[in-house]
Amino acid sequence: MAKQDIKLPEIGEGVTEGELVDWLVQVGDTIEADQAIAELMTDKATVEVPAPTGGKVLELKFNSGDVIEVESVMMVIDTDAAGATTPAPTKEEKSEPAPAAQAPASPPQPMAAATSTPQTSGTGMDVYPPAADIKVLATPATRRLARELSVDINQISGTGLAGRVTRDDVLAKSKTGSTSATTAAPTLQSPGIPRPAYQSPGGAVEERVALKGIRKKIAENMQMAKHVIPHFTLMDEANITDLIELRKTLKPLAEQYGTKITYLPFVMKALIATVREFPMFNASIDDAAQEIVYKKYFNVGFAADTPNGLLVPVIKDADQKTILQLSQEIVDLATRARDGKLALDEMRGATFTITNIGSVGGNYATPIINHPEVAIFGMYKIQERPIVKDGELDVASFMNYTVTCDHRLIDGAVAARFLAAFIKRMENPGVLMMDMM
Amino acid sequence: MSQSYDVIVVGSGPGGYVAAIRSAQLGFKTAVIEREKVGGVCLNVGCIPSKAMIGAAHFLHKLEHDSKEMGIKVKGDVDVDMEQMQKWKQGVCDKMSGGVNQLLKGNKVTIVQGDATFKTTTSIEVKSSKGTETLTTKYFVVATGSRPIEIPGFKFDEKDVLSSTGALAQDEVPKKMVVIGGGYIGLEISSFMQKFGAEVHVLEAQDGLLTGMADPECIQVVQRKLKKSGVNLHFGAKAKSFKKSGKSLEVTFEKGGKEEKIKTDKILVTVGRKPNSDQANLKGIGLAIDERGFVKVNEQRRTNIPNIFAIGDIAGQPMLAHKASHEGVLVAEVIAGKNRVYDAKTVPAVIFVDPEIASAGWTEAECKANGHSDLKVAKFPFGANGKAVSMMETDGFVKMIADAKTHVLLGVHIVGPEASNLISEAVLAIEMGARLEDIALSIHPHPTLGETMMEAAEATLGHAIHIIQKPLGSATKRNGSGARA
Repeated sequence: MAKQDIKLPEIGEGVTEGELVDWLVQVGDTIEADQAIAELMTDKATVEVPAPTGGKVLELKFNSGDVIEVESVMMVIDTDAAGATTPAPTKEEKSEPAPAAQAPASPPQPMAAATSTPQTSGTGMDVYPPAADIKVLATPATRRLARELSVDINQISGTGLAGRVTRDDVLAKSKTGSTSATTAAPTLQSPGIPRPAYQSPGGAVEERVALKGIRKKIAENMQMAKHVIPHFTLMDEANITDLIELRKTLKPLAEQYGTKITYLPFVMKALIATVREFPMFNASIDDAAQEIVYKKYFNVGFAADTPNGLLVPVIKDADQKTILQLSQEIVDLATRARDGKLALDEMRGATFTITNIGSVGGNYATPIINHPEVAIFGMYKIQERPIVKDGELDVASFMNYTVTCDHRLIDGAVAARFLAAFIKRMENPGVLMMDMM
Repeated sequence: MSQSYDVIVVGSGPGGYVAAIRSAQLGFKTAVIEREKVGGVCLNVGCIPSKAMIGAAHFLHKLEHDSKEMGIKVKGDVDVDMEQMQKWKQGVCDKMSGGVNQLLKGNKVTIVQGDATFKTTTSIEVKSSKGTETLTTKYFVVATGSRPIEIPGFKFDEKDVLSSTGALAQDEVPKKMVVIGGGYIGLEISSFMQKFGAEVHVLEAQDGLLTGMADPECIQVVQRKLKKSGVNLHFGAKAKSFKKSGKSLEVTFEKGGKEEKIKTDKILVTVGRKPNSDQANLKGIGLAIDERGFVKVNEQRRTNIPNIFAIGDIAGQPMLAHKASHEGVLVAEVIAGKNRVYDAKTVPAVIFVDPEIASAGWTEAECKANGHSDLKVAKFPFGANGKAVSMMETDGFVKMIADAKTHVLLGVHIVGPEASNLISEAVLAIEMGARLEDIALSIHPHPTLGETMMEAAEATLGHAIHIIQKPLGSATKRNGSGARA
């Protein structure tokens, strides 16, 4: 019998771990090379892990909900199972106990002892955080900063080019508080948030399902945002009759380029132009450093409803793209979000976010800000309403908008001025021409 | 009488003296124990004197070979006065050693001269001509280094059978010299002895020189040049014994199942170095030592005894002075309670042969072993570099290896003039996680050898200016600036 350990392969640039959503195979199954063996959730995307070789599944090392690090053994298979059983050479029999003795037991050892006085074994297991792996892309100064903040740099998915771990990444990780190092399972749970139990009333018909995968991530992110950010929402409406006309004339043009033009790219353009006047809407608060970070680039996230839950694809450098390019990118990202095919990098780095919940329903909403951003904009369904114009009754089309702000940074009056400036652009799309760069 | 310290460093080489100075800077009462000269092997019988000799040999070589073409006429014979050269070399070493001495004193480090023997995990005995004293301390840093390996039948007497130490102290150039071991120390000494006029025979047990020590293509350049210059290379040759008759020596070696003999004046044995873990009673106080003789340490260079640290050659490969110094700073700061580990991505290695070889990061084989299956690799020759041409030193190249997808630099291998001085840029690039574009887009001054780094990065991206590469067709994908800077 030829036992082979199957390790979790690299699953994306800069991704060091993933949460096991479900096994797609069971002990005893015969699997083929490249067959999907597990569903794994990383940051926000769920990926299927392929088997590197075929064989019979002997052992599954993790349970659903466990966090698996890249390169750790996730299952053991018998590679002989597919073909004829060849007599195992004695050499191999002998070699078996050795790795067994060395291999870490499948539940990772708690590192509680690590921060106390050194109990040196001479084998190098007693320093916390562990030394940066050679594959971690971070400058020597960043590696040292992580160490001084007790952040395990190996656990950070870098946001920089080619997955580089930046100084900001380390500070952010330090802030989220997953540094206590008492357990090996790194959850993003802020230490201050209570986790009350739910007591079932006797005899009630209920079903319990594990909170995991993208749902768990959404839950954590929303809880953190609400915990950290004092939210407030301002609402208003805009007469977009002219914009509707403009879109009508542009629609066939866009179709010539093979794309569908929606209202979202117009909203994006008007928002970016307005945000330029109000830079605090394109900022973040660095709580650890007690600094406000003003961003000089415009990456716009837009909420996408997918079968797996809410995802937020990001259009990078949206200020440098035309309405046509934005339209194409929106269609592409939204389609791939629904199909679960977005790369992690395509869901990171937004500087503010738009929710288009109105296309599903509702006059107004009070959305939750996507931390560490400081504002989220809502656009809602278009309705025809009677208006009085020059003493005559007329019909006009209105769209409702909301802006939800982080009150630590943005005051109510500023938000009101911001919304007014934005609505002026939506009501007079010609102004957008003036904003063109 | 018992003196008490916070930190005692045993050994004052490039690991020990650096650890001592940083400890003192951090406010510790520090002593350093040295049995020979301050500065250790590196400053006195290793790196520094060998570079002095190599520098002199290079100068002589240029005078004999290049000066005529450059239009410089030497009237009369060019002669090597080995005795004067030894005096000059010794002057260089004394200056360096004296400098370290001053630095230690300036930082209020006590220098204790003598042979050290550990008594307990907190006390040590030092014997010297002045007598014996016992010192106690809270922390020890073991930096006792390594020494040349002896092989059976060739005991070092430093008269007939030389170690590197003896070879660097020759008062005259031997007519013939047999060098056992084609590693970097053997070849550095072979190169300069050959230039001073010795007939050199290198006996190497393996199929090639410097195996596993450098990029195979770099080694090829050096091997070719050694052969061309007249150094005799014997591969697959195992030295067996030697006989002395009168003043002449005869070395017997086995090659391809046959015995062969060479007559010689001197024998140099350079088959490697071993850690000095059998000395100073390290085992006696219970220090854990591995099967190759290195003191076992963790990422902080702490041994199995928590108040004792070990650095440099005695604490593991690579046995290089600059690694030892880096560890010296590290342990002093760990002792001061700072959270530090050894997490350098690369230790550069330099071989001072002709031309020099220097490397940082991984070779292609190492990249593949570490999971980078898709690589971009290219070379830029010194022959296309103006400065190299004007120096008349155009042998060699800069080779870069990067991940094909991310363009992150994984390895740089240089063979050529001043490779030793060029490699630091590669080290910084690798530590910073630089991509090829980062090097290619940094303006390098002209005319310098350093331009070859920029050009090699461009070549690896497929479009160096000063060599002809395939045109940049539309098929050439440039994975340039990513989503966000």
